[in-house]
Amino acid sequence: MEALRDLYLTYQSTLGYIGLNSLLALSVYATLSCGQLALSNAGFMAIGAYAATLLTKEAALPFPLALAAGALLPALVAVPLGLPVLRLRGVFLAIATIGFGEVVRLGIVNWEYVNGAQGIVAIPQKTSLWMIFLAVAAVLFVMARLRGSKWGFALEAIREDEPAARTMGIPSTAYKLAMLVLGAAIAGLAGGLEAHFTFMVAPNGFSFGRVVDMLVFAVVGGTARYWGPVLGAAFLTLLPELLRELAPLVGIEPGPLRLMVNGLVLLAVILFLPNGMVSLPDRLRERRAARRAAA
Amino acid sequence: MLTARWASLLVAVALLVTGRARAETVVKIGAALSMTGPAAAYGAQQKAGILAAVEQINRSGALKGMKLEAVVEDDGSTKEQGIAVFQRFINKDKVSAIIGPTLSNTATAADPLAQEAGVPVVAVSNTAPKGITDIGDFIWRVSLTEAQVIPGALKRLQGKLGFKTAGVLYGNDDAFTQAGYSVMKAALEAQGIKILGTQTFAKPDRDYNAQLTALKALGAEVLMVSALAENGAGIVTQARQLGWSVPIIGGNGFNPPAFIKNAGPAAEGVYVGTAWNKLSQEPANQAFLKLMAAKGVDPDQFCAQSYTGVLVVAEAMRLSGGKGGRADVKAGFAKVKDFPTPLGKFSFLENRDGSHEPSVQVVKDGKFQIVQ
Amino acid sequence: MGQQIINGLFLGSIYALFALGYTLVFGVLDILNLAHAAVFMLACFVALALVGSLGLHILVALPLAVLAAGILGLILERVAFRPLRGRANSNFSGLISSLAVAIVFEAVALEFFGPNVSRFPFGTVPDRQMALFGGVVSRLQLTIIGIAVGLFLVLTWLVTRTRLGRQIRAVAESPRAARILGVNVDRVIAASFFISSALGGAAGVLFGLAFNSISPDMGRSVELKGLAVIILGGMGSMPGAVIAGFALGLSEVFVVAHLGASYRDVVSFAGLFLILVLRPRGLLGAASLREA
Repeated sequence: MEALRDLYLTYQSTLGYIGLNSLLALSVYATLSCGQLALSNAGFMAIGAYAATLLTKEAALPFPLALAAGALLPALVAVPLGLPVLRLRGVFLAIATIGFGEVVRLGIVNWEYVNGAQGIVAIPQKTSLWMIFLAVAAVLFVMARLRGSKWGFALEAIREDEPAARTMGIPSTAYKLAMLVLGAAIAGLAGGLEAHFTFMVAPNGFSFGRVVDMLVFAVVGGTARYWGPVLGAAFLTLLPELLRELAPLVGIEPGPLRLMVNGLVLLAVILFLPNGMVSLPDRLRERRAARRAAA
Repeated sequence: MLTARWASLLVAVALLVTGRARAETVVKIGAALSMTGPAAAYGAQQKAGILAAVEQINRSGALKGMKLEAVVEDDGSTKEQGIAVFQRFINKDKVSAIIGPTLSNTATAADPLAQEAGVPVVAVSNTAPKGITDIGDFIWRVSLTEAQVIPGALKRLQGKLGFKTAGVLYGNDDAFTQAGYSVMKAALEAQGIKILGTQTFAKPDRDYNAQLTALKALGAEVLMVSALAENGAGIVTQARQLGWSVPIIGGNGFNPPAFIKNAGPAAEGVYVGTAWNKLSQEPANQAFLKLMAAKGVDPDQFCAQSYTGVLVVAEAMRLSGGKGGRADVKAGFAKVKDFPTPLGKFSFLENRDGSHEPSVQVVKDGKFQIVQ
Repeated sequence: MGQQIINGLFLGSIYALFALGYTLVFGVLDILNLAHAAVFMLACFVALALVGSLGLHILVALPLAVLAAGILGLILERVAFRPLRGRANSNFSGLISSLAVAIVFEAVALEFFGPNVSRFPFGTVPDRQMALFGGVVSRLQLTIIGIAVGLFLVLTWLVTRTRLGRQIRAVAESPRAARILGVNVDRVIAASFFISSALGGAAGVLFGLAFNSISPDMGRSVELKGLAVIILGGMGSMPGAVIAGFALGLSEVFVVAHLGASYRDVVSFAGLFLILVLRPRGLLGAASLREA
């Protein structure tokens, strides 16, 4: 029993981060599902994290309310951001949203009230694992419902061919904006949860590298299924732990090894399994069918 | 005659048996260090210092019946990994104490876990004035904060150089350099030195010409810089290239040898407040230098502080009657007084921060010299 | 004032050189090559290894490092971009795969060179200062500005006057039409990557020589600025990249001088944002950047 409890405590933060990273991956997936590469989620997460933290620390707001505010504020910000920016195609949308994320981070670094780069410390730990997993479950539920519905078809149509979708009467900008707002809310929620899980929050946690991580979780897991991003997040969060054990055997330093494996996994996925790990059974089925047809 | 021989044989056998029967308990110390990520340069030196100290203590037999073992893990310079490492130390490796983490930001996220679990933590490179030892009574610190080093250094330098105005340049996107700036600003104001201008830079920056040109134009008599070593080297090089020859005063970040190595001739004459007087003739320091030299390591302040951290943990165990449990270490810390270390005579303050004499050094002929 | 202009031109020349390669690949392939900054960094390490360990003179090491960068570009193209060419969403997947390669490159640098910051050995370039327009400039800085402009002119000549250049422009216009016209599209794209990465590598070595702060993450400070430059100048426009590079360098320097460095990046990114919203094709870029 003691051993089990120790095992749980040892990996508690890893489990927590599997959940948090799942949320972040899902927040990027929200916009990927309609074909938009929006990389603003580190900025949204930062807004949510700081908002929730300030509300619990300065205004002594109850945690659920602070979390809700932390999800709401970035969602509101997403609207004036999305309207001009969602008109841009592909790469330009990505760049504009990266710019947004950097502006948010720099804004925090230069804001004395929140201690700039030193961040806010001694945040009471109000997040428990069950809260994180409840949030993941809730978001998954929302995504699942979207997928099968009219909404989901509209998103897919927009992703496949936006001009065609518009010709068919789908208001693509409204849908894209709605998904941006949804993604922002999820990222903000994750931010608030993380801040109250790790006792502190600082701008260096919301850099360009962070949103790249989120994107990688979603892409590796795959967007073919709505739970793909969760798979990717879980896999890539556990991978460093596995590699930590493996590193001495392979003879490479754990840090570079972890980076290299991340890069190679991402490359392998994009080259061979472009719809992510979650599409593996589909691919195998296709292969088998093709082989059978050829035979 | 035969009896004497038998007797001595018996004694020898008895000693052998009792010697082998005396089991050694292994006491683990966890070291959460940045071996990768932005702070990796510091982590390497810290690891060397910790391993050397553990080896030294075991060899000296200062802790009878106990063998220290260091478990070193990479905190990746991120809070996520730092937390994971701490949880492993606390619950899986069951360490008696934790040294680190390297960065203050990581510490503010991971230390609370140790506090809650009752595991003593020794900060050996966290210099943020707030948010470290205030976490709780299990968090102790060996590294002097900038607040303990800069004011004294500034006072001594003003007395020596007699300046009345200053320009300040600091990295505003890093917790360490930002905290250092607050201390510098307060110290300058306390000394009645007028700050003519303040400029900032970001850690990834490599070009500081714009900032330096702007400060130079204000005609300040000295330049105070709060930066990490890699930025510091570029800053002093570019300042000198721009033809700005005023004295430059650096904070803790200028201490690693990498600063001198990368700045080269531009480093000459730069003043740095330091927590470690490398040239101290005190036996504890000389022994440390000899030990590291034998390992082929050119130690820097981070190495000396980590080494001291382990020494202090062992001393705490000794003061608790040679016991290596978590509570024993914590109780022992409170008793540490004027303990000889490479940093000087070390004690803990009331608030669990470290205390020893800091110094001011200047770069002369490519090496740090102490300013008297 | 004069000094700040010199500072701005110098910084701008680095940005311009980096952006030239970036924009070339985008113009030809419509893809953002996120591994550009990693090639920038590796080329500098190659030069460092040649000068530091093998003792080669910098004038020998520089072209060798640039060549190595070009080869890395070929590898990059073969491994990360060519397999994706047939796909519908090749823009997106190209972005991701270049990101993956960038991560691998950085891991390799970290493993072989460690995280510490290195510099070229003292005396690699003569350290001669000159007075100019009321400021101080070093021979190295003038050389770098000169090389940046020079490479731009060479590239322009290449693209407008040579056969390869014509083929590159044809492929940029329409790969299918180019293929029908008998252009070996695969080879042209490989050549574009070679040139682009060689330019990025040159930028890296010069950056390393200029600032002597060489580490696996040295690309950080330019990679995002590079994006701003190519957007400002117009994606695919080489003169645009150069003008925008210098413009960004100068504006950054003056923002620092008058508002303080804290606002520098905010101004750059806010500017980027405004350009994208108001005039996405930048100063000199082609149109058709919005959704139909």
